[in-house]
Amino acid sequence: MKTRKFKDMSSSNKVFYIFNAILWGLVLFVTIYPLYLVVISSISNPDLVATGQVTLYPKDISFIGYESVFQNKEIWIGYANSLFYTVVHIVLSVVITLLCAYAMSRKVFPGKKLINLYFVITMFISGGLIPSFLTIRNLGWYNTRWVLIFMGSCSVWNLMVARTYIQTTIPDELYEAAKLDGASHFQYFGKVVLPLSKTIMSVLSIYYGVGTWNDYFNGLVYIKDRNKLPLQTILREILAVISSRAGDAMLTEEMAQQSMEETMRIANSAKYCTIVIATVPIVLLYILLQKHFEKGVMIGSLKG
Amino acid sequence: MNTLKKVQSKEKKETKKKLTWSQIGIQIKNNWQLYVMVLPVVLYFFIVEYLPMYGVQIAFRDYKITQGITGSKWVGFKHFENFFNAYYFERLITNTLVLNIMNLVCNFPIPIFLAIFLNQVRNDKRKRFIQTTIYVPHFISTVVLAGMLYIFLGPTTGILNHARVALGLGTYDFMAEAEAFRWIYVLSGIWQGAGYGTILYIAGLAGVDPALYEAAEIDGASVWQKIWHIDIPTLIPTAVMVFILDCGKVLSSNTTKTLVLQTTGNISVSDIIGTYTYQIGLNGGQFSYSSAIGLFTNLINLVLILTANKISKKISDVGLF
Repeated sequence: MKTRKFKDMSSSNKVFYIFNAILWGLVLFVTIYPLYLVVISSISNPDLVATGQVTLYPKDISFIGYESVFQNKEIWIGYANSLFYTVVHIVLSVVITLLCAYAMSRKVFPGKKLINLYFVITMFISGGLIPSFLTIRNLGWYNTRWVLIFMGSCSVWNLMVARTYIQTTIPDELYEAAKLDGASHFQYFGKVVLPLSKTIMSVLSIYYGVGTWNDYFNGLVYIKDRNKLPLQTILREILAVISSRAGDAMLTEEMAQQSMEETMRIANSAKYCTIVIATVPIVLLYILLQKHFEKGVMIGSLKG
Repeated sequence: MNTLKKVQSKEKKETKKKLTWSQIGIQIKNNWQLYVMVLPVVLYFFIVEYLPMYGVQIAFRDYKITQGITGSKWVGFKHFENFFNAYYFERLITNTLVLNIMNLVCNFPIPIFLAIFLNQVRNDKRKRFIQTTIYVPHFISTVVLAGMLYIFLGPTTGILNHARVALGLGTYDFMAEAEAFRWIYVLSGIWQGAGYGTILYIAGLAGVDPALYEAAEIDGASVWQKIWHIDIPTLIPTAVMVFILDCGKVLSSNTTKTLVLQTTGNISVSDIIGTYTYQIGLNGGQFSYSSAIGLFTNLINLVLILTANKISKKISDVGLF
């Protein structure tokens, strides 16, 4: 499609493009400003931030918030935990999802329909929170690090996206040729499919990585030891628990007291800093893989 | 090349014909590796989905840890009856429905709208920049989102209240007010999800044949007319599918988000089924009762999604299954 110059357009089209430019200006502002505000507040003098004087750029730059965050041991333990959980989770889930997606994308695979049904049913029926909790506990996985790595390591949606990707981007002729050369499915998968799947691997890495890094609920439900908690569960106490319902039972009363005092002590500015620190890795992952991300999502969702 | 084609057409014929059992047997034998490949995911779903489905029978029992799932006493629909007769039953259902329907109605159209307008941004670089940027909030965690809300909406130090004071409105404790909760939930949801929600629709619009736009242009169509006659009809099937899926979630709202936004001030409207099952189940230890509520919700959701699917199939011939 040729794009015409603006001045050659009809007036109704001009109105449209002016409107569109204003719309996107606004949308971008609304999207970015809250995040920008957090960043500039995290490096400004806390008093100026608290009195609402930091709105457009950082004022009286100070790292006092970061210093107090750096001193908080729990945050760093949580940080290390989350990094570990996320990295292992990404590897595990991308591998099993891709293997399964490859198998499900084969034309000749007796029982494929049945297996597909087995997956799809889980999208519509589920046992619910308590039965899941009891299942995990009966397996002896309660309060283990494994449970945080394991939970969410496959989703039907991701499986479908990956399957569609393999079906549409890797021609079947390649498989036929490899089969004639005597390649097994594993060999073909390792030597042909994997190297051609960088895009979908990036997409899956983002999906699974974000899912684990950002989740606080599994930590809340399945973990008892504080030194195994992921970052988000700890952040929840710092950022949101003060006003949260009293007697939140995952914390014993003593702990609640302690975390109250802790929250009081860590000043407002430390909150900004924790937000920045907690969000940086995931935004980095996104920016790093963003090039592949868009393409992969498009291909996967076209015939989802 | 020739042999390859022959093999291909032969295989196509083979799969088209009804296979005999022995042929299936040979296929299974030749492709046993595929079963190994699906095994991890099959196991995963078995543990995470199917075992809990089996465990959900405790909703009909008085579950005691010492007696195990099948050993506990069968009590039939006792827990369901208790739930239906409980004095907070109405409140829970109302809160859940209002919150979700509000959320659905406000969140559903915006990504469609954004995708259509994004599609008209003519500079490719600018378009890509916008796309990359509007996805970012999706990657912010629930806890961080809640943290930002607590900070920005805080009664004394929050930026919104500074703005209110500057305008002479006086301070307002957003997070402690019941009437503000639903809007906070919905609007923050739009901030976080609207941009990301465009992906599906952008993919849909990318599939439009450019010749269609060209033909429309030659006929003198304005941008508005192109949107109305090409873009919107293109997106309807996708939109309907998204809507059906959303309908299935009307009773199972985002528990994790509600839980972090819940305060003693807004509990009267933020107490929803999801948070309630969590509180009484895991905190209160009422496993069976909580499972019954969960099962009830899941059943309603299933009915809703099937109904939405049926209605949509009747009206527009678009459906999930």
